[in-house]
Amino acid sequence: MSFHGYWAYGLRIHAELECPELPALQDESAEPDVTIHLLPAADHIPELTVSRRFHVQPGLFQLRVPETALYCVEDGKRIFITPFSGASMDKVRLFLLGSTLGALLYQRGLFPLHGSAVETPWGAMVFVGAQGVGKSTLAAEFHRKGYRLLSDDVCAVESTPDGLQVLPALSHIRLCPDAYDRLGTPQNARFDVDKFLFPMGDGYCPDPLPLCAIHILGNHEGEVPEYHNLRGMDRVVYLLGNLYRRRYLQGQDTQGALMRMAGEIAEKCTIATVSRRRDPESIHKLVEFLELEWAERFVATPLKEMV
Amino acid sequence: MRSFRSEDKLSRNQEMLSTDLDQETVLMNIEAGAYYGLEGPAQSIWEKLESPLTFSGLVDELVKEYQVTPEACAADLQGFLARMEEEGLLHVE
Repeated sequence: MSFHGYWAYGLRIHAELECPELPALQDESAEPDVTIHLLPAADHIPELTVSRRFHVQPGLFQLRVPETALYCVEDGKRIFITPFSGASMDKVRLFLLGSTLGALLYQRGLFPLHGSAVETPWGAMVFVGAQGVGKSTLAAEFHRKGYRLLSDDVCAVESTPDGLQVLPALSHIRLCPDAYDRLGTPQNARFDVDKFLFPMGDGYCPDPLPLCAIHILGNHEGEVPEYHNLRGMDRVVYLLGNLYRRRYLQGQDTQGALMRMAGEIAEKCTIATVSRRRDPESIHKLVEFLELEWAERFVATPLKEMV
Repeated sequence: MRSFRSEDKLSRNQEMLSTDLDQETVLMNIEAGAYYGLEGPAQSIWEKLESPLTFSGLVDELVKEYQVTPEACAADLQGFLARMEEEGLLHVE
């Protein structure tokens, strides 16, 4: 059977549908970690439950998106998609790459944060925060300044014997129309469902990086941005509060392990709030502010030599 | 006011998710989305209730660990355990 090979979240993925947002897999001969199967379209797909669009139990996740598709994720390894007849494939892919891969991360015990991640000399810097607070806009600004990005929307943290690693995923940035305009309407962008999508190109970092700090982005009235380290259990509360699709946590057999991981992340890396005045013109000032703060707070480690 | 008797069998709610952070144990009630931070004696009580203990058994354990008389310990525990039960952290049989 023919498939497309992708490499995301540190996983080899073989997919029966094309996903241009995912970075291509270099070696397609190795056994995949995850397979994505596209089943024949159906005219009718029964509702999962009365109240919820999704269902979680150990080793099984189901998501039903009206007029789009039914997604099933099994054991963190297999994804089955049954599209509704006549569904837009852009939309089918949108919920595959977002919610469905998110559920797969939970099943695999990877800590999925809703935010973007930037490669810096100090390691991966992650930005989380409420929807619309400007995570993607900030990521796009780092990208414009020549930083490589690991992700623009969801980043997974893995606990390894070498420490906490941020796993890169989508190699595209999704921008709301006004942020797209501010970036000077990048030429290779295309409109996808509700946002502008453009490839990071060389500005994508395909390799996992050690996690340095997680920043909770917020707004305030003052002229000058503020950087404030969180202490105590607030760190765990904020980490769990910024899980991607956090309602998918309950019922996973990894829920206990992910909770313990929240403690590990809080202990080993910096968790800080960054607040700034909401002003589209000052986004470049925020990047400069962060560069200075990081240089003061962290010790740069030489990046691993490229093999 | 809730009052525990010495033969009441106490155990912690195993459904709580927990993690250790510095000197603290952080609990999450995933259903309610509520968080609790336990330090010092509270943390020690949580650990001891991993397997069921009677109220008096818990008092015995705590007086070994802390400089406190059984009477004072039992009196302090009444209020604390009542709060734990209210928050759904404790099962009582």
